[in-house]
Amino acid sequence: MTEKESGSVLQFAPFQSAVDEGFWHRLSSLKLNKFGIDESPIPITGFYSPCTNSRVSNHLSLIAESLPPEPSEQSSVTTNVGNRNRCSVPGILYNTNTFEGFHALNKQGLLKAEAQKVWDDIHSGKAEEDCAVLSRFLLISFADIKKWSFHYWFAFPALVLDPPATLVDLRPASQWLSLDEAESLSAACNEWRSSSVTTDVPFFFVSIASNSHATIKHLKEWPSCQQDGNKFLFGFYDPCHLPTNPSWPLRNFLALIGSRWNLEKVCFFCYRENRGFADLSLSLIGEALLSVSQGFPEHKNHICSGWKDTHLVPNAVGWEFNRGKKVPRCISLAQSMDPKRLAISAA
Amino acid sequence: MVLSQKLHEAFKGTVERITNPRTVSAFKEKGVLSITEFVLAGDNLVSKCPTWSWESGEPSKRKSYLPPGKQFLITRNVPCLRRAASVEEEYEAAGGEVLLDNEDNDGWLATHGNPKDNKHEEEENLPSMETLEISKKNTIQSIASHFGGEEEEDIPDMAEYEEPDNLIETDPATLQSTYLVAQEPDDDNILRTRTYDVSITYDKYYQTPRVWLTGYDEVTIEDHPHLPGKHASVHPCRHGAVMKKIIDVLMSRGVEPEVDKYLFLFLKFVASVIPTIEYDYTMDFDLGSSST
Repeated sequence: MTEKESGSVLQFAPFQSAVDEGFWHRLSSLKLNKFGIDESPIPITGFYSPCTNSRVSNHLSLIAESLPPEPSEQSSVTTNVGNRNRCSVPGILYNTNTFEGFHALNKQGLLKAEAQKVWDDIHSGKAEEDCAVLSRFLLISFADIKKWSFHYWFAFPALVLDPPATLVDLRPASQWLSLDEAESLSAACNEWRSSSVTTDVPFFFVSIASNSHATIKHLKEWPSCQQDGNKFLFGFYDPCHLPTNPSWPLRNFLALIGSRWNLEKVCFFCYRENRGFADLSLSLIGEALLSVSQGFPEHKNHICSGWKDTHLVPNAVGWEFNRGKKVPRCISLAQSMDPKRLAISAA
Repeated sequence: MVLSQKLHEAFKGTVERITNPRTVSAFKEKGVLSITEFVLAGDNLVSKCPTWSWESGEPSKRKSYLPPGKQFLITRNVPCLRRAASVEEEYEAAGGEVLLDNEDNDGWLATHGNPKDNKHEEEENLPSMETLEISKKNTIQSIASHFGGEEEEDIPDMAEYEEPDNLIETDPATLQSTYLVAQEPDDDNILRTRTYDVSITYDKYYQTPRVWLTGYDEVTIEDHPHLPGKHASVHPCRHGAVMKKIIDVLMSRGVEPEVDKYLFLFLKFVASVIPTIEYDYTMDFDLGSSST
């Protein structure tokens, strides 16, 4: 639980994974028909959406379409661009041939490699052009096709701020904003979410003018907006429903805001929905302080180069817990994949 | 799946292949839906209830009579809430609604026998938010049993693989996952939450929508027409008749049902069969235009 005193450490609710059965079906088929014993990493796509309900958090979901199409299928696969319930998160899959290989993977190294991508995209400006790259994930797996069982483990790499960001204030957006501001922001969010161009753009900033009018802007518009004297909120699609914490995607966003835009005081906006529409009493607005002067840990000895030294990647965390433990998960699909069992259940 | 069910599926598949899809509306007369009407009603559901979206599903399972991008509708991560103590009452209440059509007690009506199983299974379950694949229950009927039912038998002892220090992430900014548990303490007075994916397909044989649940142990388990694996579904054999009754009731109240609202009505009906899932957020919608 978050402590409420001022200056408490800003804590982020971890991303949670959910894998559709269809993902494992297609992976098995690809393994048999295409990959063979090749263990090369495979780019995959995860999907999430803002929290849609005050009682449950949304997941990062993997479905069959998260994987490349099967060889037999024509690549007439319809694109998911503009699906509001499917915001893409780039991921990478390391599927090993053996159980031993699965456990021998250098987990810290793999996580670090993904964190490096996030860091590089922040500093090359790519993240401002295509903000989806701010959230990434890594999946390691061993598909035991003979037994129809799958061992797997997700990581959601997050750059670690050191010292951590401190939380000054966190309230429902409806309490933080004036009535007019809330109304305007709510309308702006619904418009953003109903346009197929912006609906799956999960990071943005909000500019609130002195007349309470709220406008949502793309990250790349930041350089031209920061001088105009408006109030700014840094918004992201928050899959978490908790009233006490923002969730994981904010971490790398704060890294961008702190290290690329050099802001020390940040108002963040956890965008959440109810029944598919903006809900500002479920959404949160918080104020966090970033210690820009101290920077990320490796930077402490590089006071002059500081933020701009993009060779030094901050520490990263993000391996998913399995019931509070640092262990992989396992799923058996024998009931739906084993021909013998299928025959028995059909009899 | 029992043999008779299998035979019927085969028969149905053949009929579906050789009959032309319904193109003329029989919505008010029979409670059924043409393909065009299904797409129309689906578009309306997606626009009014944006947690629903159209999907294309597996390319190999695509139905040529439906648009490639509009093969079926899905809403994910739908909470199923139940107060353990009120399960019976809920079912009683639901039964009342279902009695709209009480000539025979077969088909979907029989699904009411299951709440106790669910209750039992829920008590054993750890936080539902931990998704279905780690669920421990192992009923053959249960779709969720495809997700980790074999956990104990197949998983090597993970304790020995628990990661050494290099993975201990002593990160003060990570909210510890205790909140997952806090959300659902083992206390009967607390609301328990599980989530399901709910999808709606078009059943060409019965000419009605059909609802599918991933992670629910009700009624028939069959191959999903657009997704891999077995999924639970409410069998559509009575859907048309029940929908007709609902439509009649509406019309008797002076409400003129509109075909694009069909899925709202349909979800109301499904919600009455399996009442604990929050399928839809459509309860507040006006279900038809007044005939005045």
